[in-house]
Amino acid sequence: MGYFIARRTLQSMLTVLGVVTVTFFLVRLAGDPTSLLLPVEASDEDIARLRTALGLDQSLAVQYAKFLAHTLVGDFGESLRQRSSALGLVLERLPATLELAISAFVLGIAVAFGIGLATRLSRSARLRAAVMWLALARQAIPVFSFGLFLILIFAVWLRWLPSLGRGGIEHLILPALTLATYELALYLRLFNASLSNEQRQDYVRTAYSKGQSRAGVIIRHMLPNALLPLVTIAGINLGLLLGGTVVTETVFSWPGVGRLMVQSVSQRDYPVIIAGVFVVSLIFVAVNLLVDILYGFLDPRVRLA
Amino acid sequence: MAKLSLSTAIALIFLLLVAVLIAVVPFLPGYDPYAQNLAAGLLPPGQSSSDGTFYPLGTDTLGRDMLSRLALGGQVSLFIGVSAVAVSLVLGVVLGLIAGFYRGWTESVVMGIADLQLSVPRVLLLIAVAAVMGSGVVKLAILLGVTSWVSYGRIARAMALSLREREFVLAATTLGATASWNIRRHLLPNVLPQMLIVASYELGQIIVLESALSYLGLGVQPPLASWGTMVSDGQTYLELDPWLSVLPSIALFLLVAGIQIASQSFTRENDMTAELAKSGG
Repeated sequence: MGYFIARRTLQSMLTVLGVVTVTFFLVRLAGDPTSLLLPVEASDEDIARLRTALGLDQSLAVQYAKFLAHTLVGDFGESLRQRSSALGLVLERLPATLELAISAFVLGIAVAFGIGLATRLSRSARLRAAVMWLALARQAIPVFSFGLFLILIFAVWLRWLPSLGRGGIEHLILPALTLATYELALYLRLFNASLSNEQRQDYVRTAYSKGQSRAGVIIRHMLPNALLPLVTIAGINLGLLLGGTVVTETVFSWPGVGRLMVQSVSQRDYPVIIAGVFVVSLIFVAVNLLVDILYGFLDPRVRLA
Repeated sequence: MAKLSLSTAIALIFLLLVAVLIAVVPFLPGYDPYAQNLAAGLLPPGQSSSDGTFYPLGTDTLGRDMLSRLALGGQVSLFIGVSAVAVSLVLGVVLGLIAGFYRGWTESVVMGIADLQLSVPRVLLLIAVAAVMGSGVVKLAILLGVTSWVSYGRIARAMALSLREREFVLAATTLGATASWNIRRHLLPNVLPQMLIVASYELGQIIVLESALSYLGLGVQPPLASWGTMVSDGQTYLELDPWLSVLPSIALFLLVAGIQIASQSFTRENDMTAELAKSGG
């Protein structure tokens, strides 16, 4: 187990390094940021001086080495638009994103678990089919459309909830619901499929033949096995969740990392973009690592692979 | 089977509505997605402007005909979606088959890139690349295609791994067939049906991704429209005229749901290959 964890940790660190490297070269491909920083009437000497100050006159290899050294200590340079560190700007916005992502994640998993189990226990195939159809329909609605529908109904027509910004719990409800229902649909379909899959296994037949009740078989025997795929998918799916937060934050003007990054792209604020990619991929990779390790404990077969 | 045919019927109706919008509306008299009529801004559906022009779905802020705009947006969204799927299909199949057939360091490199790509949320990757490359319809299609090859690549590689050990491939190799001949003549036809199923599923995903990017302002740029930009433009006027955002949202739903249901009836129920292939955002 120790070896497994060590190997996966090393892999994860290499991944983050790879992501940051790719982003660095992409940004260098984009060309010289000096033209964006200086007024149009700047003289050639001014441009040359700024290039020296930013280290752009050195070779690409030297620039990359310096960039890596700075990245290791968490220094992504200053934002091109605001007088503060790029990483600081990103970290400042992180709590808002985490608040949104975690509440949506918990809401999605909890409701999927509840509905999935209830429809399975209910015996009604029609009810299950109806729930699955609803889930499928929700998955076909893009995050931003669904968010706008919620705003339209609950903020514009009913005037129950605020539509923009971050504040108390009432600000969180609509964005969290937008994000959670997308996740919910996927989890519900997967949970249902994996329960159906377990139902066909021999051990379920054995449990029934021992005289156990239907609810007993489902809860005591099928559930633990059916939850395993849900854990992995929830982990892998974090990417989708984080991607969803970018859009959701924009719809609801939620002051998170995603909205910051979208704004930075339109302002060509490269240090902030790199810092944002670094922070988000670090979180993403760390959670996946955690899920893998957790999975290793839950299912010993994984460790052999 | 009754349920299956019902769902297929729903999918067909959805797709037919979108097809009419995209392919028939441009031939109607009065179709002009760019003509502005500032005297007739923000008209709700089914009304005529003061100068007597009839707008079946109303007008946007600049007085442009919403039905025409929707048709244009649909053409753009579908064009980008289909081209991106074609790019990723070709890229994924080629890379996957090469990785699975040659194995060794080729496989390590290809799968390493795939893992790297899966370890960044796709929207994030697209944002970073869009920041660098700028946007345009063709660029956007290539961008979405290049970032979406992994689903095909992984499945093609897995299938190639088992196909390369099959008798007909071994026999061909013994008779002096080259690797590229084997890949083209024996592997490709065997993986293609599976790849098309993945493609049918991916098409819906890519269209949603494109609309999301365009919604964020990083995709299609005005005066061209995609359904994503239309939803975004309408958001400002949500209180005055919700139709501006609602209409393109409905169009998107019809197209994506239609594709999704149709692709589901391809795949066996409870077959999670497609689900697993897409996870990773």
